[in-house]
Amino acid sequence: MQSVKTKLFGFLFPPSTDTWLAVLRVGLGLQVTIYSLSLRSDWISLLSGTARKVAEALLSLESHFVPRLGWFVASAAQLGIHEEAVLFLAWACLLAVGCGLVVGVASRFLAIAAWFLHLCAAKSGSFVSYGMDNFLTIGLFYLMLSPLPDRYSLDWRLRKSQPKNPQLLGFWRRVLQLHLCVVYFFSGLTKCLGSGWWDGSNVWRALIRPPFNVIDPEILVRWKYLFPVAGIFIFVLEFGYPVFIWNTRTRKIWLPSVCAMHVVIAVAMGMYLFSLVMIVLNLAAFGTGLFARTKQIRLQPERASA
Amino acid sequence: MRQKYAYLAWLTLHLLLIVLVSCRDTLRVVAEGPTILPVSFKNFSQKAETALSAALGRKLPASNSAREALATYVQVAGVEAGYGYFAPNVPGGYGLIFELHYPEGRVEYELPLVSSPAAALPIAGFLDSIGRTPHDALREILVKTLAQSVWREHPDVESVRAILGSIRLPTAREFTEGKRESYEFLYAYDFNLENAPAKRNHH
Repeated sequence: MQSVKTKLFGFLFPPSTDTWLAVLRVGLGLQVTIYSLSLRSDWISLLSGTARKVAEALLSLESHFVPRLGWFVASAAQLGIHEEAVLFLAWACLLAVGCGLVVGVASRFLAIAAWFLHLCAAKSGSFVSYGMDNFLTIGLFYLMLSPLPDRYSLDWRLRKSQPKNPQLLGFWRRVLQLHLCVVYFFSGLTKCLGSGWWDGSNVWRALIRPPFNVIDPEILVRWKYLFPVAGIFIFVLEFGYPVFIWNTRTRKIWLPSVCAMHVVIAVAMGMYLFSLVMIVLNLAAFGTGLFARTKQIRLQPERASA
Repeated sequence: MRQKYAYLAWLTLHLLLIVLVSCRDTLRVVAEGPTILPVSFKNFSQKAETALSAALGRKLPASNSAREALATYVQVAGVEAGYGYFAPNVPGGYGLIFELHYPEGRVEYELPLVSSPAAALPIAGFLDSIGRTPHDALREILVKTLAQSVWREHPDVESVRAILGSIRLPTAREFTEGKRESYEFLYAYDFNLENAPAKRNHH
């Protein structure tokens, strides 16, 4: 029993450097920045008016405590501030927070602010949010709970922060790793239940379906014999992720393959933001130190437990 | 050490929620079909999905605090939905076109307006929400939202007809035979005054 407990704690609290956390912070900071910039001209029209109110009303049927833009809009209305001004302010704050996360200034505060503001936007605009928003929420949720700041941040240099507990850093990385394993396992499992992924018709449909039809179907159709291979390759890659990502040797194949898959999704389907967030999460979880020589990490002496 | 136990307890609950939500959504996919599994799995999947929904507090009254606490947590952690993207099959999607009627009898056609390519994905998601909702009133409100934005751009329009259709994608073989994507008419809404209820037509 003691050995199981030791193994379990050893697995869940492996000593880790904070490089992965720096990758997550900078990556998500970039993601938030690009997300804000890409929606700058449509932000207000997507998040204002009836659609936002309906989305928030439906959200209230689930919970009254989930953050939403409506809280700010209602409060500002009492001060005579128009909805559009509030939405613009929220957008500007999100952009600033994204930039701040990239450089790592006030890391913890900005991670919380980024999570909160993005969550407000994603929930108030639930009709216009998609998978990318879901993964960005997940990433920011873990980022704000992780032991920030990391040693690559501006905070570290300015405040001369103390090194964080390597076991705690390892724990939060493990949480992200386990979550990604569940994500890919269920994504692969659900895909292999559809006949279209076996015969490749789903690859074709995914590539010609508006608004993902970036590549001319006339060009795509020339490669139709590769679609079944691509379909099976995708779900095998996803389904096998929880098995092959843990071993260092197979990880050197699996991780680049998964990242390459997301690059192809970005280029061939125009899902740049979705691909970027997935690559950031993957690199933070399993990428750092993969191709470097293993470093010995000195464990911090732990306080004796009662 | 006590801190480690607290982290372990949280992680157990957190992962349990993620797995339960993912299982529920996968079972829903099997129940709704079609999948490669035998039809007999549908019944089992429906029952299992109901059981998992109950475990996630979905069968409790909406006012129940435990249900609300659970719903809040899964929403703020971003784990409220499963991960079956484009699975088990890729749906065709929906299209919306506005027919703008001017006082002098002129008719123009307009697509939902977005300024940037990045907004095309959210709008596609919005159209999917409109197309998939089983609630007529909600569908009408959502279509009206998009119609209003078109109206703002064309203030001299007398009436707007919004036509919603589902997109039928050709197979690769059909495409080589010359068949292209087509739209199947689903609903049409006529908006005359901004606040008047729409006149709805459907096939």
